[in-house]
Amino acid sequence: MNRRIQIFKGILWFIVGMAAAITVVRFTRGLGTTTALSDTTPWGLWVGFDVMGGVALAAGGFVVAAIAHIFRREKYLPAARPAVLTAMLGYAAVAVGLLYDLGLPWNIWHPTIYWNPRSPLFEVAWCVMLYLAVLVLEFLPVGLERTRFRKLYRFLLRLQLPLIILGIMLSTLHQSSLGTLMLIMPFRLHPLWYTSMLPELFFVSAICLGLAVVIFESTITSWLYKREPETEMLSGLGRLAAFGLAFYMAFRLIDLGRLGKLGLIFEGTGASVLFLVEMGLCTLLPLILFAIPAARRSHNGVFVASSLCVIGFVLNRINTSGLAQVWATGTEYFPYWTEFVVSFGIVAGFALIFFFLQEHFPVDPEIQEDQEKLRRMQLFELPRFDRMSRIWLGDTNFAARRVNSVLFVVAFALGLALVPWNPLVEATPVQRARGKDVLRVGYPTGTVQFPHKEHVKRLGEDACGTCHHLNKAGDEGTPCSECHRDMYLPTKIFDHFFHVSAVEGATPCEACHAADVPKVEATAKVCSECHRKNMMAPRASVQEFKHTEAPGMRQAMHRVCIDCHRKEAENPEVNKPDLFRCANCHRTPIPHRQEIREAGEQESEVFVKNPEPTDRTDG
Amino acid sequence: MIATPSILNDVTKCIGCEECVAACKKINDLPEEDAPPRVGRSKDGLTADRWTSVVRLPEGASVRVQCRHCLEPACVSVCPVGALQKTSDGPVVYDKSLCMGCRYCMMACPFGIPRYEWSSVNPSVRKCILCFEQLASGKIDKPACVKACPKEATSFGSRDAMLAEARRRIDGEPDKYIGHVWGEHEVGGTSVLYVSGLDLSFLAWQEPTELGESPLPDLTWAALRKVPFEFVGMGVLMTGVWWVIDRRMRLQPKSSDEPGSNDE
Repeated sequence: MNRRIQIFKGILWFIVGMAAAITVVRFTRGLGTTTALSDTTPWGLWVGFDVMGGVALAAGGFVVAAIAHIFRREKYLPAARPAVLTAMLGYAAVAVGLLYDLGLPWNIWHPTIYWNPRSPLFEVAWCVMLYLAVLVLEFLPVGLERTRFRKLYRFLLRLQLPLIILGIMLSTLHQSSLGTLMLIMPFRLHPLWYTSMLPELFFVSAICLGLAVVIFESTITSWLYKREPETEMLSGLGRLAAFGLAFYMAFRLIDLGRLGKLGLIFEGTGASVLFLVEMGLCTLLPLILFAIPAARRSHNGVFVASSLCVIGFVLNRINTSGLAQVWATGTEYFPYWTEFVVSFGIVAGFALIFFFLQEHFPVDPEIQEDQEKLRRMQLFELPRFDRMSRIWLGDTNFAARRVNSVLFVVAFALGLALVPWNPLVEATPVQRARGKDVLRVGYPTGTVQFPHKEHVKRLGEDACGTCHHLNKAGDEGTPCSECHRDMYLPTKIFDHFFHVSAVEGATPCEACHAADVPKVEATAKVCSECHRKNMMAPRASVQEFKHTEAPGMRQAMHRVCIDCHRKEAENPEVNKPDLFRCANCHRTPIPHRQEIREAGEQESEVFVKNPEPTDRTDG
Repeated sequence: MIATPSILNDVTKCIGCEECVAACKKINDLPEEDAPPRVGRSKDGLTADRWTSVVRLPEGASVRVQCRHCLEPACVSVCPVGALQKTSDGPVVYDKSLCMGCRYCMMACPFGIPRYEWSSVNPSVRKCILCFEQLASGKIDKPACVKACPKEATSFGSRDAMLAEARRRIDGEPDKYIGHVWGEHEVGGTSVLYVSGLDLSFLAWQEPTELGESPLPDLTWAALRKVPFEFVGMGVLMTGVWWVIDRRMRLQPKSSDEPGSNDE
């Protein structure tokens, strides 16, 4: 038995298992939990790789079909069937990837009846749907070849040529229209990528990538199934790819020159480096390798060249739909690991389907024969016995299935254990806030991560009192909403909304702001001008406090209490000489705790029940 | 409803009280508290539950942001299922029953306005709809945000009237204002206009000069227009090539080792 393919399949099953676990979370908890997408980066890896990359990767189907059936280069016929199969599975993978990425995947069929012909995505949707159907019809004869549906088989065979031409027509449209998608966002896409020629560039690159994918897939398959690589055919395809790549490179550079953007390439910015890496991977290096006859004829040469090309063009699609937009949006989107797992999981799943079809249908007749010979041999094999678990594993095939199932289940469990169950909110650095790194908030209590250090930095070192000891009723932990009216955008403690509705009249603004100056906090009346009775303490020291901020702990406690404590400490009648010492108050349990609380409650009740009419002195 | 209803925001008059935000949340039934922000949220403060917000500039000015209801909206043109529509009256509205959640509208908006309900399993695109339903049914005579503004920093009327008002203010106090009405020409014109004493080009992804004055949908349409010709052309080309090569191969004696070349 071929261990190589078995190990490879085991790895694929493991990835599929992980992805299955993420799938559960994706569809029960939403996109926010499983992706790092945000309002500034609404398209991420799933669009860049699964959809944009996926469609481009599946271009091999129409390219090889055109070469073999339209241009009648018959030596490439053996590559046509695997290419069509890859394309069919590739487009199916795109559809599956879309189901993950769409916010409302159950509406994926909507473009069929709700039309907007002005949308490039509408056109892409229709072409992809039709082309998937065409590919199924193109592949169906392979499935029917060894069955008894001869009539249907012959009918489909006769349809092949029109189908192939239709497939090329549809591919031309949607491969280029994926570039059209980006034409509407010159404000997002970096100038090195943005050009009115994007549709044409996408089409040409799809042809190059299509050739590279066929080479890549052929080398992988022959390595996995331990067969002789078809060097002659591959080097021919490599030669064609070299022409395509040279054309693509010239096209792209001339286009950049036309727009006067060549200087941007060597600007040294992140985008220019990205551009150089992309061009190096997708065109320059593979072009050099494919152009050298010796490299083209060696198995490793074509493998390296085609893999570089594949990676480079997928990077091109990812760049165009995302990375080359960071320049404008300034967001640091990096796919969350769950996004990678789903993307690879879809690829792995369809690779397994590919292997299954290849082993059971005459995609590559020789591989199928090999496999059938193996299956026949297995019938005479003795079942294997595992000494460790003391069970009969059955024949090799059955044993492999068992191993794969175990891998799947383990990966599924691992995925469920690791996956996050709540949306990814902005990471908040946690600093121990008075011995705790999370704060109890709300009633009934919830917890929230609280960046204490950030608050200290923002408010100033001695502003503890902005949050601590506001002398509110039951003042144990000041609720964040005291300052953050919406929790996330910091506003001052002063409630402007409440004041506008409370100060009724024709000119509510002028009640606090002078008429002809900017209406900002600095030019507003101080609170105590209106709130003489119910807000400001009679003590002069307390009135010095900033009117829009709550008094700090030190301010509040020291200024309110110290005078009296000092006086009473010297009073022989009270006889408490320690009353003025620091430790008299700075200790646990906090002294007067109950009284402070009750006083606060009373005060707030009075305030709520009898809001004092405001004294307006002017305006 | 009046023709092309528009909003004129006067940055010099805004005091940043956020009355508009509160009124918007109330009329659209949005929760008072926004959902926790996601990593990578935009800096303008708009969220799925906050369709208008006030950006505070370091210079001390406050700028209200909301959907601009472009005259030729990019979001409407890119929506593959027509879930976003520009009504005949002007507001750009959203129909969730059509949406499939591709988020192309969010990518295409030059002002980065549409927001998504990322933490929902049944998410919608959320943005200002210019109080469309209430305005159309006559329940209110101006959008809630305009009505709530205590300083007339934001006013409502037909687009022509608002442009005239903007010009009147700029001409009246040329020292106070920059002589530019933001939204008059950008991306073909928007229904939300700004006059200001400060440069407001930060409101879009790019400088207005780079954004251009031609409508964005024209950019994709220039390519899409060619699609039927490309489709038919490719079909004719492929059939022709096949026919020529097939004929040549049939006429050739069978001894040949290299079948026909690929010149057309």
